[in-house]
Amino acid sequence: MDKQNNKKPVGRREFLRWAGKAGISIAAASTVSYLLYDATGPQPHRPADDLVTLPDFSVKQQPGRTMSIVKGSDRVKTVDKAIELLGGIERFVKPGETVAIKPNVAFASPPMLGATANPQLVAEVVRLCYGRARAKKVIVTDNPINDPASCFTLSGIGKAAEANGAKVILPKPHLFKHTTLKGGRLIKDWPVFYEPLAKADKLIGIAPVKDHHRSGASMSMKNWYGLLGGRRNIFHQDINTIIAELAMMVKPALVILDGTEVMITNGPTGGSASDLRRTNTLIASTDMVAADCCGCGLLNLRVSDLPYLAKAASAGAGTTDYESLKPKFATIS
Amino acid sequence: MKIVTARRISQIFFFLLFVWFCIASTVGGKIWQIRGWPVNWFLQLDPLVAIGTILTTHTLYAPLIWALVTVILTIIFGRFFCSWVCPFGSLHHFAGFLGNRSKPTPKKIQLNKYRKAQCIKYLVLIVFLTMAAFPSIGASLQTGLLDPISLISRSFNLLLLPVLDSSVNFVSATPRFYEGAWLIFAVFLSAVLLNLVIPRFYCRLICPLGALFGILGRFAVWRIGKNQSLCSDCKLCERNCEGGCEPAGNIKISECVLCFNCLDDCGDDVISYQTGPSLAGEITGPDISRRGFVLSLIGGIFAVPAVRLSGKLSRNWHHKVIRPPGALAEEEFLKRCIKCGQCMRICPTNVIQPAGFEAGLENLWTPVLNNRIGSSGCQLNCVACGQVCPTSAIRPITLDEKRGIGKFADAGPIKLGTAFIDRNRCLPWSFGLPCIVCEENCPVSPKAIYTREYFNTIRGGVMTVRKAQGKTVETVENTMEADKFATGDYYCVFAGEKPVKIAANSENSIEISENFAKKPAEGDKIAIQVRLQRPYIDIEKCIGCGICEHECPVSGRKAIRVSAEGETRSADRILLLKT
Amino acid sequence: MDSAPKRAKRLESAISFCLLAVLFLIAVGLFLKQSDSDMGRFGIYTAVPGLSSQKSEGNGPETTLGTLAPTGFEPLSEPQAYTEENLYEKINGKAPLYIESGFRKLFTQRFVSKDDQNLWMELFLFDMGTAKNAFSVYSVQRRPDAAPMSSVEDRKGGQTMQFAYKTTNALYFAIDKYYVELVGSAESQELLEAMLAIAGKIPAQLAAKDTEIAELRLFPQENIVPDSFKLHSAGVFGFEGLTDTFTARYTFDGSSLTAFLSRRQNAQDAQLVAESYYKFLINNGGVDKPLINKNIEAKVVEFYGTTEIVFTTGPFLAGIHEAQNQQTAEKLAEMLINKLKEVAN
Repeated sequence: MDKQNNKKPVGRREFLRWAGKAGISIAAASTVSYLLYDATGPQPHRPADDLVTLPDFSVKQQPGRTMSIVKGSDRVKTVDKAIELLGGIERFVKPGETVAIKPNVAFASPPMLGATANPQLVAEVVRLCYGRARAKKVIVTDNPINDPASCFTLSGIGKAAEANGAKVILPKPHLFKHTTLKGGRLIKDWPVFYEPLAKADKLIGIAPVKDHHRSGASMSMKNWYGLLGGRRNIFHQDINTIIAELAMMVKPALVILDGTEVMITNGPTGGSASDLRRTNTLIASTDMVAADCCGCGLLNLRVSDLPYLAKAASAGAGTTDYESLKPKFATIS
Repeated sequence: MKIVTARRISQIFFFLLFVWFCIASTVGGKIWQIRGWPVNWFLQLDPLVAIGTILTTHTLYAPLIWALVTVILTIIFGRFFCSWVCPFGSLHHFAGFLGNRSKPTPKKIQLNKYRKAQCIKYLVLIVFLTMAAFPSIGASLQTGLLDPISLISRSFNLLLLPVLDSSVNFVSATPRFYEGAWLIFAVFLSAVLLNLVIPRFYCRLICPLGALFGILGRFAVWRIGKNQSLCSDCKLCERNCEGGCEPAGNIKISECVLCFNCLDDCGDDVISYQTGPSLAGEITGPDISRRGFVLSLIGGIFAVPAVRLSGKLSRNWHHKVIRPPGALAEEEFLKRCIKCGQCMRICPTNVIQPAGFEAGLENLWTPVLNNRIGSSGCQLNCVACGQVCPTSAIRPITLDEKRGIGKFADAGPIKLGTAFIDRNRCLPWSFGLPCIVCEENCPVSPKAIYTREYFNTIRGGVMTVRKAQGKTVETVENTMEADKFATGDYYCVFAGEKPVKIAANSENSIEISENFAKKPAEGDKIAIQVRLQRPYIDIEKCIGCGICEHECPVSGRKAIRVSAEGETRSADRILLLKT
Repeated sequence: MDSAPKRAKRLESAISFCLLAVLFLIAVGLFLKQSDSDMGRFGIYTAVPGLSSQKSEGNGPETTLGTLAPTGFEPLSEPQAYTEENLYEKINGKAPLYIESGFRKLFTQRFVSKDDQNLWMELFLFDMGTAKNAFSVYSVQRRPDAAPMSSVEDRKGGQTMQFAYKTTNALYFAIDKYYVELVGSAESQELLEAMLAIAGKIPAQLAAKDTEIAELRLFPQENIVPDSFKLHSAGVFGFEGLTDTFTARYTFDGSSLTAFLSRRQNAQDAQLVAESYYKFLINNGGVDKPLINKNIEAKVVEFYGTTEIVFTTGPFLAGIHEAQNQQTAEKLAEMLINKLKEVAN
């Protein structure tokens, strides 16, 4: 059965060559097995090092320059004034920085219905960032409820952003990463719209003041719901806690709360011009809890009507007593 | 002793061992039950399982380290597994022998010629491995479809064993059922019958494991070959050649399955198992054309994303795909399940079934629970399925983890889904018939099914009083069925008072168990009501075990059905906000 | 064609035999592997040798239950302890019964036969706090198919057990503050013997003394149904006020009736409860009836065809329940009153 007498001597060389190749293959197989060896098997929970944390975009506090309230009918003018009163855009955006603007683009709804942020307002903020602040790049982004492309188009925000040089980033699966909020009960191992923010130096939120059937009102804190991914509507089962946790999780440089025309009823989608009321107020603030407390008055609500305000305040995200911040007032005729 | 004798003994040994493992896969401590029998050994030795899972998960699950033994031995000795160990191979060998033994020698030699079609198995292997490796749209492990060990494991466990056992009831006291067994039967029968066309048809043309061995055996140190250039060319060596490798001429090493029949049959004693090349020439590598290689590569790359366009892994997920306790989330599960059917075999209640095509192509023969089949839904204190899953597609969880006690009290119990009551079909909800079978059988404590009392006037239940005396109320109507209301579920209501239980009745009178506060007079109206306990689900406590569905007396389309919402394994299918 | 079998060469033969030896080794390995398995991973427990000397958490002689294993048996799995919080995990719906009756702790331990894995039993040791509580849960759960212990079995048990009975697969008894159940996996004489052995060791192990329940002697012995005593901790006959009430059944002329008594704090308390109970009966449809027997003082109520009697004697509240006829009821009531009067003096 084994080697016969008339085996050529080259057989031995062949043998060694084969043995060598076989040996290398065996070594390769063994090494791979060793490196990939998994004694415990798959676990049901995501390992902690896969989780991310949203960066802190906030700027240094300046007493007396936390909040400004400007009355006027022209958003472009009121927002300029409101930001100027807080120290100007240069306080928030430094030259060469990348700014992420997160407006409310939740619905594929025309601007006049007030369900989304006003495109002219967004455009003006983009202009300020590129202009006076000399930002290097401005991105405008959101994870809408309806189809993203339609939302950015029909709300007018896409065009407004791009016309002023900003880049619109639509949500894609690979842009989401999982996060766990420290001290949070609900945001545990949950996907957030991370990548566009990870590359930014500053974050600015722009939200309209709206009535909301589930939470009472939707203003600057609720605006951050648009950063959640996954099946986020499950959080509606505990809406006040999730809004408070969003306030804990997101630390923007500035929020702009647009109360020029508020959706007084039928929120958050509205649908008719009669759902709106003109209140001609624009609020800019580094404290979003305070901003919302001021904004709720425009809907004829009290702070006590919105439980999430107190929750967020007690979690340390801001103060409900906005008047104690000595907000700056102005009127633009 | 001849080497072929040793080979035959080895084939019989491993085949019987395989059959024994199938029989022994029953939960229990007796010697014919699972005990410590390593019933997964064949699957663990199978390098296609190991390599498949390495490609999809980038890890080598510890028990699969046995595959390294097979790989090393194959690299050194060649495709010994196919004709010494593989039970499916032995089956084909035997079928081919039976089918072709009476044929004349020239016909046999012709049947054992090498065919170009033998390259198909390499293409099958490439398709499977590409589907497993291609990362971006998601990897999918489909090797189980044609892996011979998975195939024979399914065929024996889900088909032959239940059929053979149904008359003796030794392995299982009650008959076992497996949905879709017809397809497993069709595939198995075709594979076996094809041996009548070409011996070892499956091994030569289809088997991806054989293809893998063919590739691994390229550098085999010992191989079959001629040790003399002088050979009478009688071609007797090819008479019983199992691999179709043509040892008479240019032997195709990657097809040779080391059956040693050629060595045994050679009249001139020129064939040997040697360390040098065959003196009649040899071809070491598989014979795949470049075109074939590229086409199968592309096929494999596109197959998974194409199948996944159905959305079955995202929003279009199938609500009836309820996986066993301990199963990983769907995408991870499909990276590991090799469709071997072990979990279905061991499940003591026979509730785990092989899926058909209804939930998508990738789900074929993966385990799903069908609560109508078997003896009782998923038993509360059983974790058998995870203990036998060879690749940890179903994790080997402890009872504590399944029940959510001890260390796992914070996490809570593992939920397979949630039960939903179909009020249109439920007896107390729609038909006024008392029944709380689901609540009685709910195994968790406190129960996940609770009831609320509800009184409902029965059809034709309003009667006029003729006379009331003591505890007897006679009615004008003569329509009642005697003693129908004596079951303790029927009550009588009068003048807006609390319902009073009926103790007995005749056609025209009822006996109440306590007096009414006000005595009914002639002409007054009373109503016969049935006391129902209407079931409600407490979805915080429901673990989706399906025992309620199994017990529900509405036996066709059950009035309480489990569906996969709320299963713990899927973060995106949760029903309740976890606090 | 060479059809004659070829002789294998020596090397071929040697290698063939080596390969067969490998197969043999595999078979041996498999055989060794099959017996070495922890069935606990399936949720089925196997004997863990060396457990006899293991202590479970906590303190007290209850924690060394493993040492109670009789000859031929060994402990099976870990001993467990349960408190009021997690009692339901072990006994589910029965938990309230124990908790209402003063339950403190439950200790459980399984034993399995060394010869036959299928023959095993579980010991439930309930610490009920007091002997009365233990008697209470023992008596109210007495199975209908309870068989008394024969004297032979009692002796095997080490000492005569006052409160004990067996069924086809279990042994139940109460001693001191413990209520003990030994439940077997099968109806087997071998298991019963083992249970008796354990029962015999328990009093010593737990320093438990057979405690007398004084109230049982207060019941008249005539016509009593043996072993029909029950102590209801949390109310009886549908009336929650009748806590801590002993009952016993009697048969007079073929008809059965129940006598009950309860020792209250003092005579006033007894009167209060008696009146509440009487009112309860009347409000639920009972009809007051005059006494036939003029020797006694009691309230008689006809309640849906049966006779109820309620009276007090000193600090005792007592009476008759569900008697078929008033005469018999009053006769028994008189006997009971006389007995109670003896004790009260």
